[in-house]
Amino acid sequence: MRPLPNDDFAPAPWPVTTGMNILVVGVGGQGVLMISKAIALMAQRRGFAVKQSEVHGMAKRGGIVFSHVRFAEEVWSPTIAKGEADMLVALEWAEALRWLDHLRPGRGVFIADTRQIVPPFACRSRKAGAASAYARETPAEIVGRHADGCALDATGIATALGDARAANTVLLGRLSVWLDYPVAEWHEVIDAIVPKGTREINRKAFDAGRAWTAPAPDEDDAAAPAVAAPMPDLHISVAIDPAWCKGCTICVKLCPERCLAMEGPVAVVATPAACTGCRVCEWLCPDFAVTVKNEGVPA
Amino acid sequence: MLDAAPSRSFDPKDYLRLQYMPHFMCPGCGHGIALHALLAAVHDCGIAKDDLAVVCGIGCSGRVGGYIDANTFHTTHGRPLAFATGLKLARPDLTVVVVTGDGDCLAIGGNHLIHAARRNLDLTCLMLNNEVYGMTGGQASPTTAATRFTSTTQSGAIEPTFDACALAAAAGASFVGREVTRQAPALKTLIARALRHPGFSFVEVMSDCTEIYGRKNDLGEAPEMILSQKADMRPDSHRDATDQPFRPHALPTGVFVERDLPEYGARLRAHAAAIRKEAGR
Repeated sequence: MRPLPNDDFAPAPWPVTTGMNILVVGVGGQGVLMISKAIALMAQRRGFAVKQSEVHGMAKRGGIVFSHVRFAEEVWSPTIAKGEADMLVALEWAEALRWLDHLRPGRGVFIADTRQIVPPFACRSRKAGAASAYARETPAEIVGRHADGCALDATGIATALGDARAANTVLLGRLSVWLDYPVAEWHEVIDAIVPKGTREINRKAFDAGRAWTAPAPDEDDAAAPAVAAPMPDLHISVAIDPAWCKGCTICVKLCPERCLAMEGPVAVVATPAACTGCRVCEWLCPDFAVTVKNEGVPA
Repeated sequence: MLDAAPSRSFDPKDYLRLQYMPHFMCPGCGHGIALHALLAAVHDCGIAKDDLAVVCGIGCSGRVGGYIDANTFHTTHGRPLAFATGLKLARPDLTVVVVTGDGDCLAIGGNHLIHAARRNLDLTCLMLNNEVYGMTGGQASPTTAATRFTSTTQSGAIEPTFDACALAAAAGASFVGREVTRQAPALKTLIARALRHPGFSFVEVMSDCTEIYGRKNDLGEAPEMILSQKADMRPDSHRDATDQPFRPHALPTGVFVERDLPEYGARLRAHAAAIRKEAGR
């Protein structure tokens, strides 16, 4: 793939009139395809040739979904190469980070929802309240790296309007600032593709996204922390009574976290910190030697 | 398993005769797990220790009752259901639980089982099935699986086995279920349902005999035996969907029978009252 250093070409001024590559990303169930369809429909109305390609379906709810929208006088390839997207619209924060390298260096516009949807496989520790392996980058850090763009709590805005599902339309409204066609025309496009009962909320969400302004820097940090505060440790303790233990090794071999170990003829708690309080050892000890205490979150 | 954890206030030590602990059972014996589940179920049902009577027969399972700090009754071989029938008729206010084994219940006490099931007296019968006579030296029992080595089947068992749940259901039990000790929280839930059921409830617990049976048949140590339970037994619905072609002989778990039948104790008292009335007494 051809690298695109900043000095390689002269950036064309916004708004683009000759065509554009827009990458819409998110996770299953968020409406990635709905907004890419809206963009494609709008470009068609303006007389552009449009190609759109997507990956969906396999992802189900919560998995990766992405959609490439390309429009120009003439479009050949249906997909956008790395470093050639003029805009990246991300409906989920980690997905925004995943697709960053597709943005055109020095020129691409970055639009993202800061809302995190933590996938199960990011939860490396099964301990309740444990920190996940979710992306640590803050929105301010990422937006600062790009020529133009914004990160907003679109889900929060849509929820305040009455339906969290309209978060995708909030981002579409934000995108319309760069793809500056008449608002009435955008409303017509939205009306044409959303279900009848949701036209009102989608229009409101579009307007809210379009009218959004970045809060003051200090306020921004407070409003959208990228890393959730870690939950306090639970008061879990596991104890083995050596006088009652007969050393059958059931608890040692069946503990999912491998907390327990044999020490001579009896089992002992080797790594108490790894205990998640699942009580497998307590239930399966035939000799009542294991006691798990789970006091819950300390007050 | 977090959701199925016993309520925070449950401590098995409240229900045990601590002066006899640790119990006599071998390392890894499934009967201890079944005892734990029974105590948790009694706690869940809110049965006071003074209102609970545990009747046991002979064998390893027969010793289980002795560790429970309640009204316990150690009876003759195969007859706990007969003793429990008398006890329940004399004291209908008690919750009577019979803890018995596969040999005790199906061989020596097989006759008592079918008639207790037929009468439908309000008892809960917990049959701990470890497929062998453990205490008496490892003889083959009615549930010893084919090809297994025991002290009376030195070249492998060849007899067909009893399906105790099918037997109890055919004899007329109004509640029949089976669970493995590996699924101890599910076992607790099943026993609690059986305790609440008005009528004869039969629960078969698939337990492990590690020393006398597992060790001599190369079934592994206690952890291997308990893990193989999970591979061999599945809830009926799950087996039908996924396992049936591969595991035609694995035993299903879950509740097989739950039906509303007239309870024998109430019928007997009503009958006696009617006769007394007729006789003018």
